[in-house]
Amino acid sequence: MSAALQNLVNQPYKHGFVTNIESDIAPKGLNEDIIRLISSKKNEPEWLLTFRLEAYRRWLNMVEPVWQNVKYPKIDFQNISYYSAPKPKKKLASMDEVDPELLRTFEKLGIPMHERAALAGVAVDVIFDSVSVATTYKEKLAEVGIIFCSISEAVQRYPELIRQYLGTVVPPGDNYYAALNSAVFTDGSFCFIPKGVKCPMDLSTYFRINTEESGQFERTLIVAEEGASVSYLEGCTAPRFDTNQLHAAVVELIALDDADIKYSTVQNWYAGDENGIGGIYNFVTKRGLAKGRNSRISWTQVETGSAITWKYPSCILRGENSVGEFYSVAVTNHHQQADTGTKMIHIGPNTRSTIVSKGISAGQSNSSYRGLVRITPTARNARNYSQCDSMLIGSQCGAHTFPYIQVQNNSAQVEHEASTSKIGEDQLFYFAQRGIDAEEAVSMIINGFCKEVFQQLPLEFAVEATKLLSFKLEGSVG
Amino acid sequence: MSTVIWDDYLEKLIDSWKKEDSPSFTTSYLNRLRANALSRIESLRLPTIRDEEWRFTDISSLRNTLFSRASIVSLPSLDSQKSTFLDEPACRLVFVDGQYIPRLSSLTDDDSVTVCGLSELTGVCASKTEQFLGQLADFQDDVFVALNTALMHDGICIVIPANVSTMVPVHILYMTSGKEVAAYPRCLLVAEPGAEVTIVEEYVALQEGASLTNAVTEIYVGESARVNHIRVQREDLQAFHIANNATFVAKAAHYDSVSLALGARISRFDQKITLAGEGAECQIDGLALIAGRQLADTHTFIDHASPHGRSRQLHKCIVDERAHGVFSGEIMVRPHSQQTDARQLNHNLLLSEKARMDTKPQLEIFADDVKCAHGATVGQLDKESLFYLQSRGFAEEVARNLLTYAFGGEIINRVIVASLRQRLEEYILASTRIS
Repeated sequence: MSAALQNLVNQPYKHGFVTNIESDIAPKGLNEDIIRLISSKKNEPEWLLTFRLEAYRRWLNMVEPVWQNVKYPKIDFQNISYYSAPKPKKKLASMDEVDPELLRTFEKLGIPMHERAALAGVAVDVIFDSVSVATTYKEKLAEVGIIFCSISEAVQRYPELIRQYLGTVVPPGDNYYAALNSAVFTDGSFCFIPKGVKCPMDLSTYFRINTEESGQFERTLIVAEEGASVSYLEGCTAPRFDTNQLHAAVVELIALDDADIKYSTVQNWYAGDENGIGGIYNFVTKRGLAKGRNSRISWTQVETGSAITWKYPSCILRGENSVGEFYSVAVTNHHQQADTGTKMIHIGPNTRSTIVSKGISAGQSNSSYRGLVRITPTARNARNYSQCDSMLIGSQCGAHTFPYIQVQNNSAQVEHEASTSKIGEDQLFYFAQRGIDAEEAVSMIINGFCKEVFQQLPLEFAVEATKLLSFKLEGSVG
Repeated sequence: MSTVIWDDYLEKLIDSWKKEDSPSFTTSYLNRLRANALSRIESLRLPTIRDEEWRFTDISSLRNTLFSRASIVSLPSLDSQKSTFLDEPACRLVFVDGQYIPRLSSLTDDDSVTVCGLSELTGVCASKTEQFLGQLADFQDDVFVALNTALMHDGICIVIPANVSTMVPVHILYMTSGKEVAAYPRCLLVAEPGAEVTIVEEYVALQEGASLTNAVTEIYVGESARVNHIRVQREDLQAFHIANNATFVAKAAHYDSVSLALGARISRFDQKITLAGEGAECQIDGLALIAGRQLADTHTFIDHASPHGRSRQLHKCIVDERAHGVFSGEIMVRPHSQQTDARQLNHNLLLSEKARMDTKPQLEIFADDVKCAHGATVGQLDKESLFYLQSRGFAEEVARNLLTYAFGGEIINRVIVASLRQRLEEYILASTRIS
């Protein structure tokens, strides 16, 4: 490993600063009182409190799952603060009223919240710790009937919509962390695209964890009505602490007839240092319901951060001819662990799904692909193609593939393939021969390896992801 | 994973066994092994579909019958069984309900194969048994291996001396006599360094009946030795068949196997291969051809524990009517097993609307300089191929059967014992209804 590369790989995490902003933090611990406190702070209707309490009671009776291929010390759920909000929390009329300290934070992170947003042409909802602090472009979106706001605001303004859809795709008792989220979720984004509307710009949520001992439990709900379409982006960072923070989000997507939802994530939570100290536990439940005919749900994720990434963005393909897609790049370095993949549940006839997963492991990290393709007896002529490639960089990391294929219909066609490779000496030699140094060669090879996934990302994200990846991995090969 | 629960079914099973006048072995090693297995069973239980490794294979119906260990009432005559013997000269070892029957067996007269029943071990077989039996197939976490180790009343040890190539195949024929009996056959094959042997392991039913076979086969392939292993399971359609094969492949040795699952109501085959020595190789192929309400479950585990290993695997399932095929194939590449080359393919053909297939190919890789790939498909016959045959004048039905036959034929062709291959071809022709 060359010295220059060594330096690059050990680059400090550049989003690791803490913002000194006064926060309103709930006392640590979890009990019904805390849930009531969260609910009353957010001035929630009675039914939502009931929803939370029911989820909490179910959570109490659940056991933490142990089947995953990741290892971490037991989480003390009583040692987490379940609510943390930036303090001067009054109604914000315009962006100018946002705490300047907060604005500077996002400025540092390069998130366009001001006029620059206009240039970028992206509407942004920003979530700081647990609370949404600003949403841009609301009015412009409202003109075409799109609702894009924080979920707390939506609960106040569109309670009937929230009540209709919340928890329908990921029920409160779905799994341990989904139940926890349903009980204590504090904010998140809500997006509603009415019938026939093609969203004129990309929507984006930016998540930031700031407080050391808080968990982030956000909830995202996206509904696309008949013929609607939307492209939604999500980005995440967190400061560096020596402790681990839990991030247990729930994302629900619902696509009705002919609707199209594209959900892209570039996840760069703090991953811990090179000895595996600190970092975020990213335990997220993401699921899309392709409910209507010809609907389409597409997940694209670039997972570079988090000490542990453990999530399976899934598609339930219920509508006839509905389409599910999953494109993923998961990069692990140092002591990071990732157990990620997808589930494609084919229920409707002529449903199709594509899975492309690229795992890159370096250092002492472990990366697993775990996926399920289930073809139920009703899914006539269903079609799935899965491809999972792993790349190992160094001899101390691991790559694992656990695909589950369950077929109960003889008209279905299911294909799965997986391979493992490394960056070969001969490849590097070929580049060197053409005057390209090892550093750049590695970056080019990796970008080539991930190309199929990056192509799915919106342009700005693709550029960011490419950069992120080369920072992350350069120096791992020498 | 097993928890410490004393399973009442196992308790009854052991109790009924204890009531029989269980013969003890002449070798103290085997008696000790049995005692250890017996005490281990106390903290094991039968797996359920809540256990990851048994998720798709529900064996709860096994609990409905307390299979007693068979005591042989009448032995089949030699002539009546001719049709199950190989046509070519072979070293034949016949078991009925798990007991070795010398009268039906026929050994070679040269010394290229040394065979000994476990109840009367002598010479090299005694020492090899002490060295390997129970060492390759671990009973600590597998209740069926533990049961076999505890309840086997007989078994066989086969030793191929160093640098000897056996000219004739070793044919081990396990017969099940009928209703509600359990057989616990056990076999240890040791190919000493440089030896070469073909072994045919075959399970047949003498008559109809819901019986239980719980077999364990251990194979040690010494340095540079070569073992070709053919396994045919043609049990009765009401039978339970549970088998564990554990193979240790030493440096530069080669292990080939072809496994066919044709019979049994519920069959489960666990194959574990450890490529322990540098440059060890294996090729394991399999075919499950099932219909009716059969369930055939194949679990394979290839452990690349040394550098420069090579493995190839092709497993196919043809699932008709309401049958259910299960495949789980894991390839493990340990740290330092650099230059490993592993390839696994699993193709499954579903012939009817109610047929079901669950497949789970897995790679676990801890070394970076390796080539590993796996692929799995589930589908039906290729429409283009069907159309092609129809355009050449084959009726659709015939074209369909022909393609199905060809799908399975790829595996059958890998059986190198001619008479057996021919018999299997006929079987698969009959079941795909080509006349």
